[in-house]
Amino acid sequence: MSERITDPRAASWYEASARARLDGLLDSGSFAEILGPEQRKMSPHLPLFDLPRAFDDGLVIGSGRLDGRPVLVAAQEGRFMGGAFGEVHGAKLVGLLRAALGLKPAAVLILFDTGGVRLQEANAGETAIAEVMRAITEARAAGIPVIGLIGGRAGAYGGGGLIAGTCSRLAVSEGGRISVSGPEVIETNKGAEEFDSRDRALVWRTMGGKHRRLIGGADTFVDDTVAAFREAALALIGRAPAFDLATLEAEQARLERRLADFGECRDATEIWSRLGVNDPAAVPGLTAADFDALVAGLRETGHDAR
Amino acid sequence: MSHWRREQAERDARIAAGRTHASGKVVPAGRAVDLLEAILRPGDRVCLEGDNQKQADCLARALSLCDPAKVHDLHMVQSGIVLPEHLDIFEQGIAKRLDYSYSGPQGGRIARMLFGGQIELGAVHTYLELFARYFVDLTPQVALIAGVSADREGNLYTGPNTEDTPTVVEATAFKNGVVVAQVNEILDRVPRVDIPGDRIDFVVEADRPFYVEPLFTRDPAAMTETQILMAMMAIKGIYAEYGIRRLNHGIGFGTAAIELLLPTYAEKLGLKGQIATHWALNPHPTLIPAIESGWVRQVHCFGSEVGMDRYIRERPDVFFTGADGSLRSNRAFCQTAGLYACDLFIGSTLQIDLMGHSSTVTQSRVAGFGGAPNMGSDPHGRRHPSDTWMKAGREAQTVGDPALMRGRKLVVQIVETFGDKLVPAFVERLDALELARKIGLELAPVMVYADDVTHIVTEEGIANLLLCRTLDEREQAIRGVAGYTEVGRGRDRAMVESLRARGIVRRPEDLGIEPLDADRSLLAAKSIKDLVHWSGGLYDPPARFRNW
Repeated sequence: MSERITDPRAASWYEASARARLDGLLDSGSFAEILGPEQRKMSPHLPLFDLPRAFDDGLVIGSGRLDGRPVLVAAQEGRFMGGAFGEVHGAKLVGLLRAALGLKPAAVLILFDTGGVRLQEANAGETAIAEVMRAITEARAAGIPVIGLIGGRAGAYGGGGLIAGTCSRLAVSEGGRISVSGPEVIETNKGAEEFDSRDRALVWRTMGGKHRRLIGGADTFVDDTVAAFREAALALIGRAPAFDLATLEAEQARLERRLADFGECRDATEIWSRLGVNDPAAVPGLTAADFDALVAGLRETGHDAR
Repeated sequence: MSHWRREQAERDARIAAGRTHASGKVVPAGRAVDLLEAILRPGDRVCLEGDNQKQADCLARALSLCDPAKVHDLHMVQSGIVLPEHLDIFEQGIAKRLDYSYSGPQGGRIARMLFGGQIELGAVHTYLELFARYFVDLTPQVALIAGVSADREGNLYTGPNTEDTPTVVEATAFKNGVVVAQVNEILDRVPRVDIPGDRIDFVVEADRPFYVEPLFTRDPAAMTETQILMAMMAIKGIYAEYGIRRLNHGIGFGTAAIELLLPTYAEKLGLKGQIATHWALNPHPTLIPAIESGWVRQVHCFGSEVGMDRYIRERPDVFFTGADGSLRSNRAFCQTAGLYACDLFIGSTLQIDLMGHSSTVTQSRVAGFGGAPNMGSDPHGRRHPSDTWMKAGREAQTVGDPALMRGRKLVVQIVETFGDKLVPAFVERLDALELARKIGLELAPVMVYADDVTHIVTEEGIANLLLCRTLDEREQAIRGVAGYTEVGRGRDRAMVESLRARGIVRRPEDLGIEPLDADRSLLAAKSIKDLVHWSGGLYDPPARFRNW
């Protein structure tokens, strides 16, 4: 007798492994892995540090179907080295994105769960971040939407946050976080008075899913289930914006306006208040449905930039 | 001419000196140092209330600012050494001698100061021992305590964290001592009177609310599958088999996992109402799902927990609450309840040796005992039977007249074979022995002695020490669940298998548990937010535990 929940779509995205997320995200049985763990493409660097390796280097890539349509997918395993980018991990993602140019899938889905670049192979990791961003822009320029799904334990930090910024659309859940410098990094450099990394409510209202959705940093806010991310991915593919000069200029204008409007705010709740949220303190406690209703009535949150 | 009222006369003199800084009983925070210098005498025995959670921090700061020329050589008798000021006063010469119980966060510094001779140590106690000594040979001359509010007569509302206060005040006020209370606010009328005003001599309005540490919050998001597996084994192999209704849990993740498996795994096993109904326990947030699913009949608390106040207030059938609706905790009574009225204690530890002695001491830290040795011991003074207690007694009895058999309390250690940073939990020799030698402790700081431990649960299985008949069997039973530690690898395989055949060592499969089923989906709550949902929004977790 198994005690476990068996419906992969009912599972919590935050709790699920990279493979479990893919299992529930794609049409049942459609996933075909590229460079699977049996090929043992592992980090050449970690043994130098006496650190354990993973057969897939913490990234699962492949093709599958989403509601019948062909997609390419990449899922980071946040439980292996915080989902961090190393040489093999990064190369697999770059290769997948470049393959999209020839395969012309309906979309590339990136399931982010990363703290950024792996310190032990930092040069290779940083290079990979740059190559991934370039590959994403090339895919988008070729008309292939790149959709980021963010709701894992590690969030999308460091280079992962930068890559997320180049995607066509992003879906985020409450547990998901998007930023470049992590809370501990900010505290270490600027002091606990500037940013207390142990104050998790502060961390989440500054970097968490709801805040990113409210300021237009993500395009959809979803419940923490695999099913909700699947629905969001389907909807976002259909809403991917054009990738042209007009879009980039609109994004530049939006970011300038954002800085002018909110630059002096000391806390996310002040930003929410200026956005027109009546009771900013209540935002973190809202359910996804109530939050969606709130977002629908605000400016700034919907745009085609990026 | 009376020779029988010397202490009273001294008390009157202290109070008269203190009154010059007070308006009635009330002293502003800015005069707290003057007050303490007026009422304290060199060499006084002083209880500066430092509980497991609640801290008289304003008075601690004031004491550390006293002039060591006026106030010196104090003998501190307090349960918790928690704040830096608690040790600063020893460096300054204000205090000299110490009798205490628990020093969690200051464990490293207190070890250095003991080693350096800056503290003259009386003894490290369990809570109940120290409380008992308040009434025999460690009665305070001055008690500096903390409450939420007071009126001008000194009637004191302690709030949900009553903890040690009634015990400290009882010993001090009724034996010619002076009691000073710091409060967050002074009201015309307090919500409820926890300490009557005629036992409080001075009330200091603190500059900021007293500090309470959230010690009992375990985030379900950090719970591992190994901990879940151990919790499944404890539920099926111990709780169900002994029918444990009355119990106390430690504060580790293993026991928190048990709490979160009651409404799911234990429910499927059909154990609802059969186990875990009556508790001596702080209000653990991880107990909320079990309470909400109707598992828990009642809970008596040592102290409270940050963020649980509104929830407790709305669940008076479960918790002990006052006429005002808020929790009434009491450490002395709850410790007594855990010792005499519970059939099981289960908790974690850092080191277990080959006989089953355990300790939370490492070579560089003296964390003290707190209440665990009281909970984790078999009270020989117990005289009331229960099915659980009698079953354990029958398992333990080897010789003698069955008519004279007495029961046994179940004392269970639940540990992963490798702890934090992959340090082995099983050792040949406890670090506590080396520490005792180094700093000259007469008694090695053993948390739970081998003769009190009845079961050890690890991810490898359960060792039932009650059923062991020789020391050799006992050692092999412990090695038999010690996994890949040195101790575990040193086992006699044939003997462990024979112990397994006798049910002394049991593996998950012997209990009908599939280790792959130990999955986080079994947790009734997987995050702090889930706990908030379970509580109907009544639980208000502190910011550091929120990820929304």
